[in-house]
Amino acid sequence: MKTRNLMWQWGINIILMLVACVCILPFVLLLTSSITDEQAIYQHGYSFFPEKISFAAYEYLLNDASGILHAYGITIFITVVGTACGLILTALLAYPLSRPNLPFRNLWSFFVFFTMLFNGGLVPTYLVYTQLLDMKNTIWALIVPGLLMNAFYVMLMRTFFVTSIPEPVIESAKIDGAGELGTFIRIVLPLSLPILATVGLFQSINYWNDWFNGMIYVTDSSLFSLQNLLNRILLDIQFLASSNFGSSQADVSSNAPMETVRMAMAVIGVIPIVVAYPFFQRFFVKGLTVGAVKG
Amino acid sequence: MDRRGKKAVYSILTLAITATMVLSGCSTKKAGGESASTDGKNEAPYEVTMAFYGNEQKDMQEVQNEMNKLIQSKINATVKLLPIAVSNWAQQTNLMLASNEKIDLMFTSSLFNYSTQVAKGQLTPLDDLLDKDGEGIKKALDPSQLSASKVDGKIYGVTPVRDLASDYGILMRKDLLDKYHIDAANIKNINDLDAVFQVIKDKEPAIVPLVAKNPGTAPFDAGYITYDPLGGGVGVLPDYDNNMKVVDFYETPKYAEQLSTLRRWYQQGFMLKDAGTSKQDGREMVKAGKAFAYFSNLKPGSEIEASRKSGKEMTVVRLTPAYATTDSITGIMWSIPVNSQNPEKAMKLLNLLYSDKELYNLFTWGIEGKHYVKKSDNVIDYPQGVDIQSLGYNFGTPYLFGNQFLSYTWTTEDPDIWNKMDKFNRGAKKSKALGFSFNVDNVKTEMAAVNNVLSEFRVGLETGTLDPAENLPKFIEKLKAAGSDKIISEKQKQLDEWAKIQK
Amino acid sequence: MLLLMMLPGIFYLVINNYLPMFGVVIAFKDFNYTKGIFGSDWVGFKNFEYLFKTSDAFVITRNTILYNGVFIILNLFIAVGLAVLLNEVKQRFLSRFYQSVILLPYLISMVIIGYLTFAVFSMDSGLLNKSILPMFGISEISWYSEAKYWPYILTFVHSWKSAGYLCVIYLAAIIGIDQEYYEAATIDGAGKWRQIKSITFPLIMPVVTVMTLLQIGRIFYSDFGLFYQVPLNTGALQSTTNVIDTYVYRALMTLGDIGMSSAAGLYQSLVGFVLVFISNYVVKKFNSDNALF
Repeated sequence: MKTRNLMWQWGINIILMLVACVCILPFVLLLTSSITDEQAIYQHGYSFFPEKISFAAYEYLLNDASGILHAYGITIFITVVGTACGLILTALLAYPLSRPNLPFRNLWSFFVFFTMLFNGGLVPTYLVYTQLLDMKNTIWALIVPGLLMNAFYVMLMRTFFVTSIPEPVIESAKIDGAGELGTFIRIVLPLSLPILATVGLFQSINYWNDWFNGMIYVTDSSLFSLQNLLNRILLDIQFLASSNFGSSQADVSSNAPMETVRMAMAVIGVIPIVVAYPFFQRFFVKGLTVGAVKG
Repeated sequence: MDRRGKKAVYSILTLAITATMVLSGCSTKKAGGESASTDGKNEAPYEVTMAFYGNEQKDMQEVQNEMNKLIQSKINATVKLLPIAVSNWAQQTNLMLASNEKIDLMFTSSLFNYSTQVAKGQLTPLDDLLDKDGEGIKKALDPSQLSASKVDGKIYGVTPVRDLASDYGILMRKDLLDKYHIDAANIKNINDLDAVFQVIKDKEPAIVPLVAKNPGTAPFDAGYITYDPLGGGVGVLPDYDNNMKVVDFYETPKYAEQLSTLRRWYQQGFMLKDAGTSKQDGREMVKAGKAFAYFSNLKPGSEIEASRKSGKEMTVVRLTPAYATTDSITGIMWSIPVNSQNPEKAMKLLNLLYSDKELYNLFTWGIEGKHYVKKSDNVIDYPQGVDIQSLGYNFGTPYLFGNQFLSYTWTTEDPDIWNKMDKFNRGAKKSKALGFSFNVDNVKTEMAAVNNVLSEFRVGLETGTLDPAENLPKFIEKLKAAGSDKIISEKQKQLDEWAKIQK
Repeated sequence: MLLLMMLPGIFYLVINNYLPMFGVVIAFKDFNYTKGIFGSDWVGFKNFEYLFKTSDAFVITRNTILYNGVFIILNLFIAVGLAVLLNEVKQRFLSRFYQSVILLPYLISMVIIGYLTFAVFSMDSGLLNKSILPMFGISEISWYSEAKYWPYILTFVHSWKSAGYLCVIYLAAIIGIDQEYYEAATIDGAGKWRQIKSITFPLIMPVVTVMTLLQIGRIFYSDFGLFYQVPLNTGALQSTTNVIDTYVYRALMTLGDIGMSSAAGLYQSLVGFVLVFISNYVVKKFNSDNALF
């Protein structure tokens, strides 16, 4: 029995190590190519072991260090506020949907789910946010449209509540005289830390990586988030590559930085969230123990 | 419980309906726009919002303040600069126009659906405004240049004063030409280039002989054109005349011939093997010392401009005569959208940019002493310790901001450049279809399909990556299947009608 | 009380999703700015024509459905498999390490993945052609002009990027399973595989079903970044990389027609809608608890 268990553990670890390598290697390539000398790439190709190391790409980016720092600030703000508000909204909507005593439960579920299938398109959405809510060029435009709450996460959380929160636990809380809200806050939420952490993680990644809202709703550069700043350059390159505007009299210099700079931009965009990730992981483990104690 | 649930559903529905009504109300209400305005002195200055492509500059606010001092004293208005990233231009302006946001002056272009914008009623006709407040503009532009943008007899856009014609040719690194004793004067047509590229390839293995100017395009795309594109897509006027008969350029022997040249160059290793895929800017590659030459559209002083940008002295060989086409004029214009609440003020501001030297240079080059210093009355240079990287204000698009002939010249430039440019514009041959704008509305469905075929084949064929013997017939066949003939005959129809009115 | 709790979320959906839906009328209109959305002329189904009146219509529909079908099935196996394995890792440090690493690809934007793919497959400077293939004595392959390789490359890139994401969701579901079930099973002498088969799988089934249904609803949408950025918009690869979204993008890039783009969105939604209804109905037949609505 013991040796079988040990074999089992070894087998698992070997498989997962391989998977981990597949996930990490391209990232390493990203890092190494961001510090490879431009000329070396051209002559020897991309490589995990740069022929010649150069930090020129990072120096190029540091040229506008204050702009990048400011953009980091915006990104962090929208990520924190957006994730917090989004989680609350999502959980508050998902929990009632999971309760069998909710009137018209299926209808409401459908109401939520429907938003995943149909959308009015960009122009009407833009009209709502700029004309009705007057959000253009405000920080809220980076937080509210599209990202704040997603039917996908609501459905996910609802399913989790249905399957992982034992009905007797809720019933006993009710018998103790707790209201729906009280039960939700004191009993359900603590039991749901794994799913809250998961959805929170995804939401914060979405906020962190979002540039679309910035591109649509913000023309004021003091509100540019980090990804917005970085993506602008990449999108300009792509635009000039695929439209015939670049070939007209308009001598738009693409300001196209060479490959290494593009790689370096990706690196500075990803590092902080990689650093923040273990923070979320603590909740996965905590959720586990709390669940076990309660069970 | 049941009743409460129903109630909630109803109240949400009602809310949605009311909100929709409010919304639709406000999107139609403002459309009329009130444009009553007088030049009363005690009136608050009107803020003209000016949208153009570009990336926001660090010191923009400061320059804008300086501009406002000038503008306010002259026309009792102020300006708000609204640069928008070029990749986002079409989308952002579409949204802004659709939601009636305030834009008083905006950049328009035939390459950004100018004729569709006119057809959809987004732009204000400018004829009356020009007569009233556009004296400086009318003085700076030739009548034919002004009327090239006419749609159904009305002007909807005004081109800045700049290079309004273009010829095509190749820009090559002078140091390498000298090193291998190549005399550029011997290059007369594209077939003379084989020998040159061969030398570079043999002697400088680390340098690619030929790259495309813009990332992800083919070398000839921006650099060697022998026809009037008639607004783009399929259907062109070969040699700018062809007795006004529109043809599909991709079916002409000339195209086949070009492709075989390009294929030969590709096979002999004169171009990157990744030419069709790599997203590298040719000019940047020259700057980095990785490439030798690229084709480009040209104007007087192109070689100096290119040298400055790439930091290497460039030699130019002009391979085609200079032509003026509708597209060379309508490619960059200023228009007044119907969103403007005060088109008169917008026109007055535009007029100033065409006639006020101080304002033009402030807008284009920034504040004297901070963003440039004067070397003499009309010649400027970077301030000490500042270079193009650390400069706080320079949109890099001097051709866009009004009358470029008012511009100071940089120490590296020919001080007489604007005279030469003027001569170039006047001397250029005029395409027979100069002034014709194609309206794509009737063939949108076909255009959509054709665009996909173009993106499937063009770059591959024109970078030599695809074998023309096999792929060109496929290309043509697929174009036809996508409806290219219908587009061409629609173009022909519109062109004939246009020609009739001209006579 | 429950309804009150839902109110903020419902309100948000109304503003963010339902209000803009009035915009579907644009798909049937010749949108004119001066006339506004409601004042523009009706044109019937004209805006939809370009989606079908093309020789590529079959290719893009086939590509979209095949790719997404394969993605859904493949991801299901990979992600559930990984989640089960991850849950079995006993060393806390290693478990954390794997979890972080698996999500790394999800963090990188598609544009950058496009460049990374280029770094691997490029003719002139790619890792494969410059370093790896020569080691095995294989001559250079021009990856970007051979459409036949790309279904594999794209499928790999997709799984690489998104399996970690799904895996984390399933892992959260597995972690949420009450440990007592396993303890009881161990006492009964059930082996690992048996425990996984008869406890883990059935208990995460609802989450798996919902996730799959949600993906089916979007089967006519495809990840634009994956199909546009990763092949770097290379024309020669279009026969295997063109999907509905990229077709629409290329078609309308120079036209900028709002009506035509809304038409494409509506078409994609409708198909997804029908498919989801059918599959939800099927799921309901088996187990009504697992169904979406």
